[in-house]
Amino acid sequence: MNELELKKLWQATQDKLEESLVVNKKHTEDITRMKVHNLVGSMKPVKIFTLLVGLLWVGIGGIALSSVYVNSFSGANKFFLFSASIQVLLTAMAVFVYLYQLITIYQVDITDPIIRTQEKLASLKMSTLWITRLLFLQLPVWTTFWWNETMLTDWNIGQWAVALFFTGSFSVIAIWLWFNLTYENRNKKWFQRIFSGKEWTPLLKSMELLAQVEDYKGQHAGA
Amino acid sequence: MVMDKQAQKHLFEGMMEQHKGILWKVARAYCPDEDDRQDLLQEMMIQIWQSVHKYNHQYKISTWLYRISLNVAISFYRKSAARAGKHAVLTEQLMEIPVEDKSEKERQLTLLEQFISELKEIDKALMLLYLEDKSHAEIADILGMSVSNVGTRIGRIKDKLKERFSQLKS
Repeated sequence: MNELELKKLWQATQDKLEESLVVNKKHTEDITRMKVHNLVGSMKPVKIFTLLVGLLWVGIGGIALSSVYVNSFSGANKFFLFSASIQVLLTAMAVFVYLYQLITIYQVDITDPIIRTQEKLASLKMSTLWITRLLFLQLPVWTTFWWNETMLTDWNIGQWAVALFFTGSFSVIAIWLWFNLTYENRNKKWFQRIFSGKEWTPLLKSMELLAQVEDYKGQHAGA
Repeated sequence: MVMDKQAQKHLFEGMMEQHKGILWKVARAYCPDEDDRQDLLQEMMIQIWQSVHKYNHQYKISTWLYRISLNVAISFYRKSAARAGKHAVLTEQLMEIPVEDKSEKERQLTLLEQFISELKEIDKALMLLYLEDKSHAEIADILGMSVSNVGTRIGRIKDKLKERFSQLKS
């Protein structure tokens, strides 16, 4: 069978199927009664929840820490204060990136040509990598929250070795991930192991799509 | 020119009635699972309704609808990560359809559908438009690429398709 025959066969089958299609009028009516979605209306509850938790954490944390800086800085445990400040600051940055992603994805024009739209959507979805990197960057401060000034005088070498081992290794991991959790490393085994759960499927799919778009654009440049 | 609500409704209902096949074909190509396909079709219709006020008469309605339906279908993965697992099961089932019992034409159609289902998202869009006998210029307009690139890409996919069909014969 040549390609012309194949095309004809395809079209004949599709036309037959199309003829038997019936549009549910009630359904179409219902859709026309829908109000145009705003950003919040188009968001899934889990996304709204995640955003609210993030905003609350940053808001409450920010107010509490500001109050310590203003009113009781001299008496505060500096290890806790600086660790918490770094944590809240990094979370605030992650929330900002998440919000930016949600707003800009919502604003993408779905009526634009496929390659342009998919490139925009996939690139925006990949800002999830920035969120992940920012959250991993918090790792070391989770090991320094509980430090205090008495450790400088009371701790023996064994305690210091354990504390520094954890803080040091967490710092190395966080910095290494910051530089290596990138699109370019998407095919590495360790990368795929980190993003192996179903919840990461949209991110991995975005990367795959972006690779396809780049392939098409590369072809375009060469054409 | 801004359309009033009634004109938007009229245009939308007309599009759905006259071009329902576009949505159906795209949904069928991208979504093998019937339940998910209904969700996808609904999402396409909602996106068309939400964009109908932006419709510009300089575009052919079919070109405009292909853009929306393909964009929605390709982006559908963002809606639910859980769908990925269901699709994997369905692809396996699709591969198990016994082709021996069918007529030669049906067998070739099944093979063609299977070939399309294995293509990557953008190649799939290209193949779908090619089979629909769209001109290279219209395909280029829908996908947002040059006409020469469309030709090159279609050529490559056709080569793969020929290879697949020759494997069947041998």
